[in-house]
Amino acid sequence: MNYSYSIIKADYLQRTRSYSFLITLAITIYAAYSFVPPTNAPYTTLNVPGYRGAFNSAWVGYVSAMMTTVMLSLYGFLLVNSGIKKDIDTEVGLIIATTPITNFGYLLTKLFSNFLVLLTIAGITFTVSMAMFLVRGSGYPFIFADFIIPYILFAFPALFLVSGLAVVAEVFLSKRSILQFIIYFFICGAMMAGINSPKPGIPTAVFDPFGLSLVTGSIKNQINTEFHENIKQVSFGFIFGDHKTFRTFKWNGVNWLGIFIFSRLAWITFSLALVYISSFFFHRFDFNQPLNKKKKMATYNQQTGIAEIKAVLDAGPLPPVVADYGILPFIKTELLLLIRKGAKWFWLVTGGVWIAMLFAPLNIAHTYLLPVIWFLQVTRWSELVTKERTNRLHYFTYSSYQPLFRMLPAQILAGVLLAIALALPVIGRYLISANINAAINIFSGAAFIVLLAVCLGIVSGGKKLFEIVFFMLTYAVTQKISAIDYLGAAPHRDHTGYITVIFILILSLGLISFFVRNYQARHL
Amino acid sequence: MSLVIKNLTKQYHKNKIGLTNYSITINKGVLGLLGPNGAGKSTLMKIIATISKPTGGTLFLDGQDIVKTPDHMRKVLGYLPQDFGVYPNLNAYEFLEYIAAMKGVGGKDLRKRIAMLLEGVNLTADAKRPIGTYSGGMKQRIGIAQALLNDPKILIFDEPTVGLDPEERMRFRQLISNLADDCIIILSSHIVSDIETIADEVAIMKNGILLEKAIQPDIIKQVEGRVFETLMNNGELTRLRTKHLVVNTSRQKDKISVRYITRGNEHEPGSTTAAATLEDAYLFLTQNS
Repeated sequence: MNYSYSIIKADYLQRTRSYSFLITLAITIYAAYSFVPPTNAPYTTLNVPGYRGAFNSAWVGYVSAMMTTVMLSLYGFLLVNSGIKKDIDTEVGLIIATTPITNFGYLLTKLFSNFLVLLTIAGITFTVSMAMFLVRGSGYPFIFADFIIPYILFAFPALFLVSGLAVVAEVFLSKRSILQFIIYFFICGAMMAGINSPKPGIPTAVFDPFGLSLVTGSIKNQINTEFHENIKQVSFGFIFGDHKTFRTFKWNGVNWLGIFIFSRLAWITFSLALVYISSFFFHRFDFNQPLNKKKKMATYNQQTGIAEIKAVLDAGPLPPVVADYGILPFIKTELLLLIRKGAKWFWLVTGGVWIAMLFAPLNIAHTYLLPVIWFLQVTRWSELVTKERTNRLHYFTYSSYQPLFRMLPAQILAGVLLAIALALPVIGRYLISANINAAINIFSGAAFIVLLAVCLGIVSGGKKLFEIVFFMLTYAVTQKISAIDYLGAAPHRDHTGYITVIFILILSLGLISFFVRNYQARHL
Repeated sequence: MSLVIKNLTKQYHKNKIGLTNYSITINKGVLGLLGPNGAGKSTLMKIIATISKPTGGTLFLDGQDIVKTPDHMRKVLGYLPQDFGVYPNLNAYEFLEYIAAMKGVGGKDLRKRIAMLLEGVNLTADAKRPIGTYSGGMKQRIGIAQALLNDPKILIFDEPTVGLDPEERMRFRQLISNLADDCIIILSSHIVSDIETIADEVAIMKNGILLEKAIQPDIIKQVEGRVFETLMNNGELTRLRTKHLVVNTSRQKDKISVRYITRGNEHEPGSTTAAATLEDAYLFLTQNS
C-alpha cells in the first residue's frame, strides 16, 4: 500500500508539474466561471426553453457539478490517456517491469493517478462554483451540502470511470491515440444519451454513468408541474442563442435515494473491474514489434561488420559545400514527417473521409466531415513543433542557421499545406459554386488551427494542451457553436468581422510563437 | 581562426552556477575538456554552440561577437551534443538531408556528400532503414556524420565516444586527427584515454572554473615524480587513502596493487616510482582543487 501511494504520488506530480497542466488549470478557472452565466449572457449552460433557475445554492452547485462532469468527461480522457505511454517513452516502464509490482497493481496506480489529475481540476471548478454563488448571489442562503454532494455523487464516479477507461484504452490500443479518441468519443456520446432519457427517474439514473438524468428529470418535473408545461428536453453545454426573457423558478435540488448512491459505488466497482480484466492483457512493456526489429538489426550488423569495411572518413575528397539557405528542403522533410506519422492504414480512413467530402451535401462536408478529417490529424499537428524536443533533436535545430526564420515558417507551411490538401474537396466545391467567402473561411481555418498547434506546442512544451483544445473546437464546430467556430461552418452575420477576428488571432498566435521560440532557442 | 572567451559566466538561478569567470583562447587543433560531472563542460559547449546565452562575459570568433550575432558561429559549426536524438521515421539519407537544410547546405552534390559521409561512418549498408531501428552506436555515428555536413570550422563533440565499441572509437580518433589541421575541435569526454590520444591541448574544469589549460606534457609535469605503485594488504588501504591520493587499485592474489599520488613529499616504503599519465594529473588537479 505504501509503495502504491509513492508511485501514485510520483506519477501525479510528474503530470501536474508542467506548463500545459498550468495552462489547463487557468482555462478551467475561466470555464468554471462561465458555467454559471449571468442573466444577460448570450448563452446558457443548462437550458430549459424559456426558464432559468434562481441562483440559489442548489442551482449554482448542481449546474457547476454537472458541467464539470460533462466537460471533464469529454476532454479529461485526452488529458490523462498517456500515463502508460509516458512510461514507454521515458523507458521508465522497463524499470517498472522488473519490479515486483503486479500488472493490476501498476494499472491501479495509473487509474488513481488519472483520477487525482481530474480531481484537481474538479476541485478548482468546485471552489470557483462557491465563489460564483457569492458573485451571482441573489440573497439565498449558502448551503455547503448543495455544492459538495453533487460533486461527490456525479463528478467523482464519472471521473473515476473516465480514469479507468483511459487505462483500459492504453492497455488495448497502446500508442494508437487517435483510435482511442474516436472510440472514447462514441462511448462518451452513448453515455451522455442517458442524460435526456424520455423516461427520467431512478431506473434510468442508475444505469447512467453520469447520473445526470436524475437532475434533468427533477427540473423537468418541477417546471411541468409548477407552470403546467410539457417540456421534454433539458440541454447541456454552452448553448448560444438570442437573449430572451426567462421565467425564473426556484429549484432546491434532488432527493438522494439509497439505490442511486449504491449505483455510484457500482460504477466505481465497474471501473475497477475493467482495469482488473485489462491487467490480464497488459503488455508489461514487453513489445513484440521492437524485439523483431532488434533481431533484424542484429542481423544487419553481422552482415556489415565494422572490420569488413575499410573506409575511413577523410574530409578531403568530399564535394564542396554549396550554401543554400532556402526553406524548401525543410518543407519537404516536414511534410514527409507529417505523412509518415502514425499507422499507414489510418490514411485509408482519412482517404475514405476525403472521398466522402466530394459527394456528401456541401454543408455536411463542411460542418462534420472537414472537422473530423482535420481532427484525425491531431497527433500530426500537435507534434509539429514539439517533436524536436520529444526526439531530442532541438540541439541541432536551435544551433542551425536562422532557425526562427527558416525552420518555424517551414513547419507552419507544411502543417497548413496538409490541412489545405485534406480540405481540397470542400474548397473546390465552394469555388465551383462561386462561394469565395466559404473557401476563405477554410483557408483561414487551416492557418488558424496550425498556428494554434504551433503556439500551444511552443508555449506549453507538450502536445496535450493542443489536443484537448482541438477536440473541444471540433466538438464546437460540429455543434454549430458560432462563437468558437474557427472553420466558418456556422452562419456568421458579418463575414468581414469574422475573418478579421480570425486573422487577428492567427497573427497573435504567430507572434507569440515567434517570441517564445526565440527565447527558447537561446536558453537551453 | 581563434575563439576568444573572456570572463564567461552562466548562472542558471541563485544557487546554481554553470560557469564562473571562464576565460580561454582556443586555436586550431583539438582541445580536450576534462572534468567531473557538473564541472560545466556541457554548459560551455552549449554556449559556444549558441544554444545557451551566457549571463556575463564575451565570446569572439575571429573578432565577431557570437553572443550578439550567433549566426556567424552557426554557419561554421558542427555540433554533436551529448544527449541528442533523431527522427525515427526517417532513414539516414533523409535525416542528413534535413540537417543539411538546417545548416544551409544544398547544391547538386549534396547527396554525393551525404553518401560519402555515410560511407565514412560505416553506415552505407543501413542507410535506407529508418533510424528508429538503429543501435546506440549507429545513432552516434549518424550524429558524427551530421556534424561534418557543412564542412565545419568549429567542431564541438560532447561525449562523442559514448556507445561506440573499441573499433569505432579507434576510427573516431582517426577521423579527428584528419580534421584537426583545418579547424577548431572541442571535445569533452569522461574517458581520459580518449582525450589523451586525441587532444593537443587539455582544459581541466571543476565547478564551473577552469583549473588548468595547457598542452599535455605541461599538465602531466605537475605530477611527475609524485606517482608511485606498491603492493599492500587490504587492511592498509584505508590508512593509505588518508595520506595519499589513490588513483587505482587492482587485486593480485592476496595483495592489492595500489597506484597513488603523494600529497606531500613522502612516499610509502617499498613503493616504486611510476610514469605519470594525464589521468593521474587530472585526478590530482580535480581532487586537490
